[in-house]
Amino acid sequence: MKKLLYLSLALACSFAFAQDQGDEEKKKDWGTVTGGFESNIQWYNDDTKLGKFAEDEHFRSNNYLKVDYNYGNWFAGIQLESYAPMPLLNYSPKLDDTGIAQYYAMYKTRKLEITAGYFYEQFGSGLILRGWENRPLGINNSFRGGRIKYQPSNSLSFTGMYAEQRDGFKISEGQIIGFNSEIDLTNLFKLQSSSLAAGFSYVGRKEDIPEEFQNTGFDEMTNAFSARLDYSGNTFYSGIEYITKSEDAIVNSQRFIENFVEPGSALLLNFGYSQKGLGIDATFRRLENMNFFSEREAAGNVFNENILNYLPGLTKQHDYALTNIYVYQAQPAISVPDPSLLKFGEIGGQIDMFYKFKKGTALGGKYGTKIAVNAAYWAGLKGDFNFTDREADIEYFGFGQKYFTEYSFEVRKKWNPKWQSIFYYVNQYYNQRFITDQRGEVNSNIAVVESTYKINSKRSIRAELQHLWTPDDNKNWAGGTLEFNVTPRMSFYVTDIYNYGNDDKDEQIHYYNVGGSYARGATRFAVNYGRQRGGLVCVGGVCRFVPQSTGVTVNISTAF
Amino acid sequence: MKSIMSIVVVFLMFTIQANAQKKIPNITVKNLDGSSLTMNDITKEKGVKIISFWATWCVPCINELDAISEVYDDWKDETNVELIAIATDDARTKKRIKPLINGKGWEYRILLDENQDLQRSLNITTIPHVIVIKDGKIVYRHTGYFPGAEDELYDVVKKNSK
Repeated sequence: MKKLLYLSLALACSFAFAQDQGDEEKKKDWGTVTGGFESNIQWYNDDTKLGKFAEDEHFRSNNYLKVDYNYGNWFAGIQLESYAPMPLLNYSPKLDDTGIAQYYAMYKTRKLEITAGYFYEQFGSGLILRGWENRPLGINNSFRGGRIKYQPSNSLSFTGMYAEQRDGFKISEGQIIGFNSEIDLTNLFKLQSSSLAAGFSYVGRKEDIPEEFQNTGFDEMTNAFSARLDYSGNTFYSGIEYITKSEDAIVNSQRFIENFVEPGSALLLNFGYSQKGLGIDATFRRLENMNFFSEREAAGNVFNENILNYLPGLTKQHDYALTNIYVYQAQPAISVPDPSLLKFGEIGGQIDMFYKFKKGTALGGKYGTKIAVNAAYWAGLKGDFNFTDREADIEYFGFGQKYFTEYSFEVRKKWNPKWQSIFYYVNQYYNQRFITDQRGEVNSNIAVVESTYKINSKRSIRAELQHLWTPDDNKNWAGGTLEFNVTPRMSFYVTDIYNYGNDDKDEQIHYYNVGGSYARGATRFAVNYGRQRGGLVCVGGVCRFVPQSTGVTVNISTAF
Repeated sequence: MKSIMSIVVVFLMFTIQANAQKKIPNITVKNLDGSSLTMNDITKEKGVKIISFWATWCVPCINELDAISEVYDDWKDETNVELIAIATDDARTKKRIKPLINGKGWEYRILLDENQDLQRSLNITTIPHVIVIKDGKIVYRHTGYFPGAEDELYDVVKKNSK
């Protein structure tokens, strides 16, 4: 393994060197080498308040080096990953290694693209298939195999792929076959100021069935089909997507549920209206048994591994610490552990509105005032389960148990050339029993005020105050942040969130953090010391659970 | 293990010196109406362009684009610069793009990089990230936004538009 690593580094260096020469000579083109490097280093220390760090290895790091080479129509690249001496807390143990994690070679022309090796792919909105990488979440669900993309004209494109899915430093047992088509109908219907596009996809997952579950009503091959239509006019736009998935065994918490086989389906509707100064968007989604994995027994794994499709929680993504304590996650799965906890999927939606009060009006003032409103409602699909016949009866448009509601309101206001502020208010209802398998429900109100003061053209100060009120769970929280931007490149901050309302005096903990960052060109360096609150860390509607910890974090990232 | 990391570091310093990425990879991105175009369609045009990677959920990105929005007309008049805002929103948040840009009254050209293919090929790990190109070649990159960074960005634009 080590040899391979050195070899590839040497290779990459020689490419880089070749490129350098090429620049000097200006005649021979040896192609270009580009790449990126990211390192996240943690030192976990013992904490008087949180207790001793009970795991192995106080020092841990996640490192990624990606190098790409391009010569004319040819592309190739590798990604080296090193989790040494161990991955950061709560990253999958499958990552505990160092080596070449991914590689690919690609030939690309205007009409044709052929890839072998590892690649990322998304069909439509990702509801049927999405392979992606998100390092902060520890997700890398790329595919390893072959892919052909063909675009015979501007209005037609086709993708075919056959692959297995990346799983740590290995690959999944299940095999994936995918086909996608995108058809632009704008010219066909001779539309002048609007556009219309359709898409059809197929995704098949083939995996051996364990002996004890053979001939129990489902096949090795699970088939999913998607059809979608998108319309976009001058001010109005809308989209619809429907997915069906063939009958497959129900698997909960990585275990097969005996004699329980169900098909799945999804429906996504979206409408929007927008013109200068005003925008409205509404989304409705229904998911029934729509979790889809490259290995059946990966269902419910906590590291988001082997996930084939993308089912984000469709709620507003908040940016403040206290607004991210009770985060909704999509509930696509069927699980029937007992008659009081029946889950068949989710149904619900959200509405967004953006409005700008013009400059010079009463509410707009000298600079205009921008507001954003969001409302979301999510419930479980209504249904019943017959425990003797082992049959589920699910209503199509039935709203069952309420899971989550949220209203948020944001105002952005610039007062004068030096001062500007953001006001943010959120009201949440969070059903912990159904979302996170804990007890109880939480009703909370959160308010945030943020102000930035520009000292001069380069220097500024930002302050943030937050408060969360709730009579439930861990009760009230307060928080604050102070950030000093020394130059547009360098910044320092102090932040704290404090669970002062906790009934248990020992749990009234300050989660304080101090740190700074420096950026130059494509390079960024950041250092942080403090306590991390345990809970869900979410990016893009997908969440990862992290335990609480204390320590020093160093992040380095660069591109070349 | 240490030896690997040290090699990596040496290698990095070497390559950063040797060749900073100068070209925008020819990746396919989408217009807001869903039609696709390749980055070559943009880089083949002459002149200075700002390419800004952002997302609807990224507060500093929005602060940056809001700040530029107020002076964008002056920038265009003085230097003929065009700002192309590339949204890296995925399916969860991409429906917010249109209402958000209209609600804010931004006049940028907006493109979509939905599965982050372009972002990945430029090795951008954190946003906001701005790239200034002149006649299709990268002349400046910057990660992160703090108030005042837009002035520095404009200095680069002015210098390159002469």
